[in-house]
Amino acid sequence: MALLDEPIKEVRTLKNYINGEWVESKGEIVDVVNPANCKTIARVPISTKAEIDEAVAAAREAFPDWRRTTPLARSRFLFRLKELLEENFEEVSRIQTQEHGKTIDESRGETRRGIENVEVACGIPTLMQGYYSEDIAHGIDEWVIPTPLGVFGIIGPFNFPWMIPLWSAPYAVATGNCVIIKPSSEVPNSQTRLAELAEEAGFPPGVWNVVHGGRTVVGGMLDHPDIVGITFVGSTPTGRDVIYKRCGETGKRVIAQCGAKNFMTIMPDCDVDRTVTAMMTSYFGNAGQRCLAAANALIVGDDDAFYKRFVQRVVDLASKIRVGYGLDESIQMGPVRDKDKKARILRYIEGCLKDGARLLLDGRQVRPEGGLPDTCFLGPTILENVRPDSAMGSEEVFGPVMSIMRARDLDEAIRISNANAFGNGNSIFTTSGKAAREYQYSIESGNVGINIGIVAPMAFFPFSGMKESFYGVLHTQGKEAVRFFTESKVVIQRWF
Amino acid sequence: MAENILHTASESISFAKKLEADSAAFYEELAGRHAAGAETFRAFGAENRKNIAQVERAYYGVITDAIEGGYAFNLDPTAYTLNTALKDGAGLAAAVAAALAVEKQIIKFYTEAAEQSRGLMADVPRAFLLVAKKRAGRLEKLEALT
Repeated sequence: MALLDEPIKEVRTLKNYINGEWVESKGEIVDVVNPANCKTIARVPISTKAEIDEAVAAAREAFPDWRRTTPLARSRFLFRLKELLEENFEEVSRIQTQEHGKTIDESRGETRRGIENVEVACGIPTLMQGYYSEDIAHGIDEWVIPTPLGVFGIIGPFNFPWMIPLWSAPYAVATGNCVIIKPSSEVPNSQTRLAELAEEAGFPPGVWNVVHGGRTVVGGMLDHPDIVGITFVGSTPTGRDVIYKRCGETGKRVIAQCGAKNFMTIMPDCDVDRTVTAMMTSYFGNAGQRCLAAANALIVGDDDAFYKRFVQRVVDLASKIRVGYGLDESIQMGPVRDKDKKARILRYIEGCLKDGARLLLDGRQVRPEGGLPDTCFLGPTILENVRPDSAMGSEEVFGPVMSIMRARDLDEAIRISNANAFGNGNSIFTTSGKAAREYQYSIESGNVGINIGIVAPMAFFPFSGMKESFYGVLHTQGKEAVRFFTESKVVIQRWF
Repeated sequence: MAENILHTASESISFAKKLEADSAAFYEELAGRHAAGAETFRAFGAENRKNIAQVERAYYGVITDAIEGGYAFNLDPTAYTLNTALKDGAGLAAAVAAALAVEKQIIKFYTEAAEQSRGLMADVPRAFLLVAKKRAGRLEKLEALT
């Protein structure tokens, strides 16, 4: 199968988008490398504190006028943006594959999810309405007006370079705030292209800004008194110990969506064919680099024959997954994002084997299709006899690795899952309504799947999370995002 | 997964588009050769373009990272090979026979692809079945030409 055309054809040095202008950074420049073929596709600046300060100042200055722009008029900017995103759907999807490595189906899925958030935010004239009580006392009325707050920082991760900033940005600007997006410096092209389309949609200067970089930019956002809130998606140590902590110290609102270790509970009464197919996407989709990827498979029951048959089906299907460059339409799994991430995953696998786990499918020596360098590639890897309290069984690995465990019954499966520190996206596969009901009731997980392997909430539902997977109160997406980006101004009125 | 078998949504949609494009080119050729059926053949070619748009719209509308898009199909493309080669000087009856065979192959593809992806790809199997139904309607029109 021939490769789809690569949209990024020449290496350019990316610029920041500040106050409606594309501005060259004075910071250090680093290469952005396509993990599938190891070719440099762009250069990205690691911007300075002065540059984030400049963006905050521009956003702060734009805020009063933008706030006074009516919600209906603001929604029209989003409608224009939505049209542009549809028109450029294929290009932005291929950019994601080129810079991240995911398959083209996965990138198109990511593009669609991002657009859905823009679509939901287009309803802001209704979503942002307050509420009113007449006669709270004799001749006195009371109402709530959701009001925007100012400038928000949006810090994106590497694994969904396009979609994740769109969990926040459309709602932030729809409600009358201004945003500064800091994409991951590993995958900065998607947000650069999005900003170009936002510019084309006509957002006033300063409303939508992008500043590339790393810790300096994040630190500049966290410390800046004119940034009123932060949304962050990334690892738990950074989310908890840096973002959440510092936002608390500086009085900022915060949504910190963090790491995960997701358990999939497989009941003996499950629909085996559908469950096994769902497992392929859940464990190995996006090369396992998603916070909703299943990592541990808890197979319930003491029926050894069922266990063996089921595991064999999983191994058989996983062993046939086609690994290579995601712009080849036949490819089912791309590389991990870079060689350091691959090395980290390999360390987990090797540590797990030393702990006594058994390797059922070894993806360590995978040869990607098309003669590509194996620098960032790992094949699907399946281990059994993994202890839930081991490093492999309990920590976020973020790679295409499935750890198989057994549980006597549903209660034990829930106990094992709940003993884990994370609570992001756990799921059960069963044909029993009773088991499913007990599971969704008892499982400590922000997102719960019943016969769904990737529990990704739609744009009109919050993207939830519990325990060490989430720090904050409100979540991104939908109505909760609208609440996060607005303050409830309460008016009590009496006329004499 | 075996070489050349279509598993991903992306390659299956591309294959559907290729069937539509190849059969459109075939009908253009038939229209040039047989004045008697030219109007019907040209209408089929034009409808093929609408079919591509319909299938693409369904795919781009529902593709999401939460479903099994990479594993939704198990289609052997060699089972849907179109025989569009016509002998020089072949009459209308031979052309219609070839067109009927082409239509039946494409109907088979859409029907089987819809069945495989049912429950996984939301609007895509429905779009496939709609196109299959439209193409089934062509069989009668083709037979009426001879």
